[in-house]
Amino acid sequence: MNPALRHVVERVTIYGGAALLAFACGFPLFWMALTSVKPDREIITATPSIWTAAPHLDAYRRLFDQTKFETYFVNSIWVAGGSTLMTILVAVLAAYGITRFRFKGRESIATVMLFTYMFAPIMIVIPFYIMMRRLGLTNSHLGLMLSYASFSLPFSMWLLRSFFQSIPLELEEAAMIDGASRPQAVARVIVPMALPGVIAVSIFTFIVAWNDYLFARVLIGKDELKTLPLGIQDLYESSITDWGVIMAAGVMITIPALVFFVSVQRYLIAGWGAGGVKG
Amino acid sequence: MATQTLDKTAGLGSLPRRVPRERRIPEHYWGYVLLAPAVVLVLGLILYPVAYSFYLSLHSKHAYMPIETYVGFQNFEWIWEDEDFWRSIKLGCIYAFGSLALQIVVGVTAALLLHQSFIGRGFVRALALFPYMMPTIVVVILMRWIFNDSYGVAKYMIESSGLMARAPVFFDPDHVMLTMIIASTWTFFPFVVIGVLARLQTIDTELYAAAKVDGAGVVRRFWHVTLPQIRNVLFVIVLLRFMFMFTKFDIIWLFAGAGGLGYSVRTLPIYTFVKSFGELQVGFGAALSVIMFAMLSAFAFAYFKTFRRDEHA
Repeated sequence: MNPALRHVVERVTIYGGAALLAFACGFPLFWMALTSVKPDREIITATPSIWTAAPHLDAYRRLFDQTKFETYFVNSIWVAGGSTLMTILVAVLAAYGITRFRFKGRESIATVMLFTYMFAPIMIVIPFYIMMRRLGLTNSHLGLMLSYASFSLPFSMWLLRSFFQSIPLELEEAAMIDGASRPQAVARVIVPMALPGVIAVSIFTFIVAWNDYLFARVLIGKDELKTLPLGIQDLYESSITDWGVIMAAGVMITIPALVFFVSVQRYLIAGWGAGGVKG
Repeated sequence: MATQTLDKTAGLGSLPRRVPRERRIPEHYWGYVLLAPAVVLVLGLILYPVAYSFYLSLHSKHAYMPIETYVGFQNFEWIWEDEDFWRSIKLGCIYAFGSLALQIVVGVTAALLLHQSFIGRGFVRALALFPYMMPTIVVVILMRWIFNDSYGVAKYMIESSGLMARAPVFFDPDHVMLTMIIASTWTFFPFVVIGVLARLQTIDTELYAAAKVDGAGVVRRFWHVTLPQIRNVLFVIVLLRFMFMFTKFDIIWLFAGAGGLGYSVRTLPIYTFVKSFGELQVGFGAALSVIMFAMLSAFAFAYFKTFRRDEHA
């Protein structure tokens, strides 16, 4: 094959492949958004159109007026936010302790923590449920937050540990010689320097909590305490499936994820390298 | 390498302390104090439940009633003779290996593609990673809508493009597994892309130049240059993805539920859940999760034995 022709073939293959990939990943998202603004008669049809002549937000109105979407949404934000704060606090303390102090069993504790990464939620959920029942933490958001925090902890601690290790001691010493107490030095010197790590940890904990279905299903029974995955499941398993409303709910849950994703994409890669994504 | 850094950083403990309050506690205790909350959480909420699971697996226990009776290995004997259990292993392997193979093929291809330079690459890269960020529940409702057997756009596209005169029924006992494997691949393949793409970016471009001079075409460059370079990262990805797919619960459960269709995709995690929380036989369920744990450990061990050996050569 002559070089010019080969170049053309190569370009065509690359652009064709890229278009296919973009279509495969993007079309479902587009279809979800489109369905959510279509009138009903354009949704329930065997010949769906790629566009709609009369877009409207009726499905969104129904979502907010006729379902408890708002409650589920607030619950999800609250649970995910709470678990994230809990994880950050505990993981920063642990990572600091493990990098700045020398004590017996330090390495083995770190290794055992890493080992817990092996356990999938489904292996833990049965005894977890029995424990939470005994502690009176079923049907409570605290129980959920605790489970998400403990699940994200091992990874969070390992990631922060590697960040703390790369921060030179001299900076902290200098701050302390200048009169800062140790907690002050940590809050003003260490944490700001490890910020990318702290952000990565927050993202992953938030996503774990935002996405989880299993623990919420097992621990939460009361409707007013349900998080989004449970609430949406109820919506689509109800007797008459209103696809417009369900797609509107999908869009509403995806938008925060999308905004989040676009703004923190580079930290995401850092976290992946450390094994943050699980599932 | 980690120990080196650690030894360097461990020196701070000997700094003169200014806060009198701190002086009462010996220095090395601080390590324990700071680690305590993390240790309590992990010990109490992960390791203890795992141990409790082993304990429960030797008992007969109802999910809500406090009664529990020691039955020895009775649960395991029952499981051994339980046809549904063997069926769940079979279905679990079909799901895990099927979706794993697809994820690897699609993921590596996409990573190779996204490594080339073309206009709009940044956008396509972001778009290709996004399915992984979608909450599972959204993936499920979206796929159920797209593959809907009456009004789904997939059916419409297949039939109007002339690919098939009649599209297959996506949600019937014969096809639901395949539909679910496709949906799972869609949402999980970006995991492979991220890992492989990161590795591709560190490959020395001179290797390709040399291969080109030697007259190697695209295919041979892939087999002899790219593949050996991404082998290590693929090794880890395959192990992790298999373990994640084999223990996957939520996407399968939400996809098909407990009902008639669910029976066609009752993998081991689903079976464990059904036994524990549907039939309330917590001891039996715990025994199933112990088996799951044992199988995964055995798999990881065998995997390392088989594929890691020549790594040292």
